[in-house]
Amino acid sequence: MMTSGQHNSANPTRDAASPASTPPPRSEPVGLGRQDAHAVPVIELIDLHKNYRIGTEIVRALRGVTLSIAENEYVAIMGPSGSGKSTMMNIFGCLDVPTSGEFRLSGKDVSKLSQSRLARIRGCQIGFVFQSFELLPRTTALKNVQLPLMYTQATKKRARAMAALDRVGLADRAKHHPNQLSGGQKQRVAIARALVQEPDIILADEPTGNLDSKTGEEIMAIFDSVYSEGQTIIMVTHEESIAARCRRVIRLRDGYVESDTWNDRPSKPSSETAHDKREARLPNDSHRLAAAS
Amino acid sequence: MAPDAHALLSVGASAIEQSDASRSGRLRRLLTLPAKLPRWSWSVAARNGQNVVTAFVQIWANKGRSILTTLGIIIAVTSIITVVSFVEGFGNYMTNMVRGYGTQFMIIHPQRPPSRQSVGLRRVTLNMADVNAVHADCPSVNRISPFIYTGDGEIVYGVEKIDKVPVRGVSEHYQTIRQFFVDAGRFFGPVDVATAAHVIVIGRSVLKALQTDDSLIGEHVYIDGTRFLVIGVLQSKGSNMGEDQDETVMIPYTTALRLYPDLKDRVRFLAEATDEGHIEQADAEITRVLRQRHDLLPGQPNDFIVQRQDQMVKEFETIKTVAGSILGGIVSISLLVGGIGIMNVMLVSVTERTREIGLRKSVGGRRRDILMQFLTEAIVLCSLGGVVGVALGIGISRIASLHPDMVPLETPAWCVALALVFSAGTGMIFGIIPAFKAAVIHPIDAIRHE
Ligand SMILES: Nc1ncnc2c1ncn2[C@@H]1O[C@H](COP(=O)(O)OP(=O)(O)O)[C@@H](O)[C@H]1O
Ligand SMILES: [Mg+2]
Repeated sequence: MMTSGQHNSANPTRDAASPASTPPPRSEPVGLGRQDAHAVPVIELIDLHKNYRIGTEIVRALRGVTLSIAENEYVAIMGPSGSGKSTMMNIFGCLDVPTSGEFRLSGKDVSKLSQSRLARIRGCQIGFVFQSFELLPRTTALKNVQLPLMYTQATKKRARAMAALDRVGLADRAKHHPNQLSGGQKQRVAIARALVQEPDIILADEPTGNLDSKTGEEIMAIFDSVYSEGQTIIMVTHEESIAARCRRVIRLRDGYVESDTWNDRPSKPSSETAHDKREARLPNDSHRLAAAS
Repeated sequence: MAPDAHALLSVGASAIEQSDASRSGRLRRLLTLPAKLPRWSWSVAARNGQNVVTAFVQIWANKGRSILTTLGIIIAVTSIITVVSFVEGFGNYMTNMVRGYGTQFMIIHPQRPPSRQSVGLRRVTLNMADVNAVHADCPSVNRISPFIYTGDGEIVYGVEKIDKVPVRGVSEHYQTIRQFFVDAGRFFGPVDVATAAHVIVIGRSVLKALQTDDSLIGEHVYIDGTRFLVIGVLQSKGSNMGEDQDETVMIPYTTALRLYPDLKDRVRFLAEATDEGHIEQADAEITRVLRQRHDLLPGQPNDFIVQRQDQMVKEFETIKTVAGSILGGIVSISLLVGGIGIMNVMLVSVTERTREIGLRKSVGGRRRDILMQFLTEAIVLCSLGGVVGVALGIGISRIASLHPDMVPLETPAWCVALALVFSAGTGMIFGIIPAFKAAVIHPIDAIRHE
């Protein structure tokens, strides 16, 4: 299934998921080209194009994007409306496939995978957070968080969902329905749903777009803390203040990468101890499990 | 199950596997399959259970629409159950009635075979000599009674006169064979028959028509101008298939033959087999004796028929089943209409829930998961309709049975089972298109859908 043999010396997916083989913590977040020679990027795009066809007209949403995102990066994607941000996120999340170019997820070319394998990747490796929350209306917060687990063979689904809700501080709202929750709470439930599978990457497309700035701040605090626990986060945003909290900002324009900059001094640095915390990430979860049940 | 087995193989492993997963590794996992099977089947069951729960939630959330949608199915199933209950009830009633006559006897009458076959046959007759021969030469035949019948007797008592009375000329055995007993006076005996006595036993309806009662016993009445002594009154038997069994009079067949000499070559008779097990044999013996007496060559058709009651019962059972199936089948077409309704609403529902479908796909739902979810919903919806329909159908049959002129309606278990299976099947057949439509929705379009 893999067309290129470049990265098949190790199984990067397992490495990413299992605590035993977590690579040694890097001292400082590093930019493109400065990466650890042996680390496989979580996301790698090479000259990626995406065209949409509307009738006879072809919309070129992405026109040759090359970039690479490593594990535990905190990336903001910015750019004017229509610049291809959502298109790129959809490709990251295996919801859509590129027209040409290469897209590797954890070193693996996913373009040849079957629909059901892609679904499995979305379920196990990707956590989506949408601008409009996308919670199932007639379903409790807990059941909403449990949804991704429904499509897996996972055990202790309830306990895991409770732990995820606890992580976003909503353990006490488990039985509430979405219409009984505020916008911020809904988005927190959505984040818990994205976290419940312990994904490799969290993809958030304008997660604060439907929220007021104060609530947006709360949501960002959660992302900060999730990031500090070792999670890779890629977020589309229009707000400079939010982008300023991320470690890296990629700006798109008309389907090109306009700039890709490192932000060595995030406005609310919450990552000084990120890597120490990351070591404790999985044991922490078992604490949470115990606390939740 | 191949895809799910595949899913099982990747239990515990990360979703993306290295392309050249070693053969030995795959084999090893294959070997541990039996150990994982219970957990796997539990998980499949749990997932489908979850689908059923989701289906109920969805159906409950759209109560009004769900009821309207399933109305077609409900009406269809209700009609099926009711129609089949009617057929079954009437059929059983008829069968029991025929059984009530006694199944051990048969009626033999002269009958001309279809014209083409009857070429070369002499005149079709059946006379007392034939009857006596059957009595003498058929060891499997027990009692026998000639049956001289006219439906056109005129009875006069004093100033009362009634027309078109069925007059039966029979022997003393008739009462035992057909279970016609008197409850006042007596039935005629062998001596009355032997001497062609002018005695008569009268049915209750005739008695009533003559504006009199049991006191008629000992009086005289006139049948077609001949004077008869009333010796008994028949016990009431009620009506049978719309025919009043009490509207009859019985006289010795010997007397009847004198009264209606035209009938002497068209005698019918009843023969009773020695027991239930000898019915076939009695039939065969009678046929043999009569063919011999009528000089029929092998290959020539019978010029009489032996009408067996047990065959009548079987025929009724067959008619009942066929009628039930045909009517049930016709009504089942309405299930189709119901199914189309379900399909329509499910299609609308799929469109409405595009975002939900997109979300489910984005959190790992595969096509077949979505397909199963919507298919389950259609099946649950139709099954619920089926259950309601069965309840209504049984209810209607019960209520109809309460009417005094109604035979008791019975809902057979097979019909209930069939109705439920068919309604679930309708859900499956008509749910597949909407479910498929849901399954192939592209997650992007779904998330963008407004
Ligand atoms: N499904 C689609 N079909 C057709 N055109 C699309 C589709 N999705 C996006 N586009 C077009 O691609 C371009 C990029 O869209 P998008 O990625 O949504 O931009 P952004 O999220 O940056 O606002 C836009 O011109 C948009 O109209
Ligand atoms: Mg967008």
